Amino acid sequence: MSQLVAERTGARKGAGPLAYKNGKGTFRSILPLLPFLAFVGYFLLFPLVFVVRDAFLSNDGKFTLDNFAECFKGVYGHSFYVSIRLSIISALIGAVAGSLIASAIVKTGSRARKAVAATASVLANTGGVPLAFMFMAAFGTEGLVTKSLKALGWNLYAGSFTMFSATGIILVYCFFQIPLMVLIYSPALENVKPELREANDSLGGTRISYFTRIAVPLLFPAFLSTSLLLFANSFSAYATARAMTAGTLPLMPLLIGNLVDGNVLANQEHLGHAMAVSMIGVSIIVMAIYLVVLRFSKVKS
Amino acid sequence: MKRKLNYVNYIVLLAASAFFIFPLVAATEFSLRANGATTHNFSNFQWAIQQDGFKTNLGVSFRLAMLTAVLVLVLMVPTMVYLHLGGARWKRLIEFICLVPLVVPVISFALGVSTAFPVFLQSTVYELSFLYVIISMPYTYRALDVGLSSIPLVTLVEASRASGASMRQTLMFVIIPTIRSAVNGAIFLAVALSLGEFTLAVILHWDTFPTWIANISQGHILAAIALSVLALVGAWLLVLVFAILPKSFRTNKTQEAAA
Repeated sequence: MSQLVAERTGARKGAGPLAYKNGKGTFRSILPLLPFLAFVGYFLLFPLVFVVRDAFLSNDGKFTLDNFAECFKGVYGHSFYVSIRLSIISALIGAVAGSLIASAIVKTGSRARKAVAATASVLANTGGVPLAFMFMAAFGTEGLVTKSLKALGWNLYAGSFTMFSATGIILVYCFFQIPLMVLIYSPALENVKPELREANDSLGGTRISYFTRIAVPLLFPAFLSTSLLLFANSFSAYATARAMTAGTLPLMPLLIGNLVDGNVLANQEHLGHAMAVSMIGVSIIVMAIYLVVLRFSKVKS
Repeated sequence: MKRKLNYVNYIVLLAASAFFIFPLVAATEFSLRANGATTHNFSNFQWAIQQDGFKTNLGVSFRLAMLTAVLVLVLMVPTMVYLHLGGARWKRLIEFICLVPLVVPVISFALGVSTAFPVFLQSTVYELSFLYVIISMPYTYRALDVGLSSIPLVTLVEASRASGASMRQTLMFVIIPTIRSAVNGAIFLAVALSLGEFTLAVILHWDTFPTWIANISQGHILAAIALSVLALVGAWLLVLVFAILPKSFRTNKTQEAAA
């Protein structure tokens, strides 16, 4: 996904002999794109405009900022903290574990690497409802892993751990965060060729100088940008958390879902919209940092 | 460039395999439980499959996936081809639009849809397919963009046009067959996304296969786990069929070299 943004393959592609034929005027050249633009305008832009509009409306349809004031208070304000904290932790665990796995994988043969890439792409997309139930079977109170660990003398549930807490959710999110990291980080890792190490050694560098002068500067941007993607990924995740906790944990997406379902209080839809807009805001900030990191790290590979 | 793995690497790989394999094993074991875990058989699967909701909801999800695939084919493929031919100056704009769904959390998007769409649209479950096209855009864009960048598109189109083919014929009989693996990839991504999508379906109050699994879990957790195992295995088979098999049948080596 990092390449998604990074790969601006340049507008020159395709500007071949045919280009001038269609490029007589701005208007004519956009005509073939109209179906797409109309589709996106209606199915993407229109709903987004409505979320933002409704976030600034009171129940009687007047402009107000109260919805936003409300969504930073009480349980809603707390959910910002819980959601962001959970996303940071799960992104960090995913990034560290994923990069460790990736650095072991790059050393293996190309066939093993391909198999891992295929597996990782499957696991990275294994989100949603099935994942929640799979983990209940493993780490629930009666779960197989719980019982095996208990037999080995480690009671998972001795402390405050439950599957329905933030810790439980983080554990589950690892199942798709780590593979996503492996998937995106491996190509960056493969760019750090063994020749660089040899060059370092033959120029009299040490192990430490290899890490501080070569590996870290080359890899840190990729590490950071992928971590930001992981953050965004867990920040907006909804299905797994909802299926596991039935909406009881104070996470932003879950609270929004509850507000819309109307099983909290009537007439709180606008609060839900304000929360939804705040989520988009957080997400935009994270993606903006992501783009800045990418721009500063345009290392020729 | 095979290099030696040190013991830290082995520990990491071992721990990772354990973390990813244990939940699968546990879920499989749970799904086969019967009579309070005293015996193992397929009764949970049988129970789940015999429910009325199984066939209907699976059917809904499959139809949604098919419609999504058709929409991607009709909407995204011509648009992307045009971007690589005459419309290159719009590429940045379209790319930006296609990445918007990555930034907008699906729950926020779902909320907007539920307030913005008129009743006639919200009265059919197929509205979901149109939204799935939107949220799969970042992935379909990339798949098609990579595919189109790796072929000499302009040359192909010129040759085809010079031989008297219409633009529509060129698209259907020259371009799409040439980038078939990219088109397959894009469609696969859209299909996989529609089959597993939960947030939009639940917020817009539709019943699809994933929301049905979540509902089942409240009464019969083992059946929900059994269905989850089915869903996961099904998804992986889909990957196998769509993503891995076509590659081994592919004879066009130049395409592989270019990629």
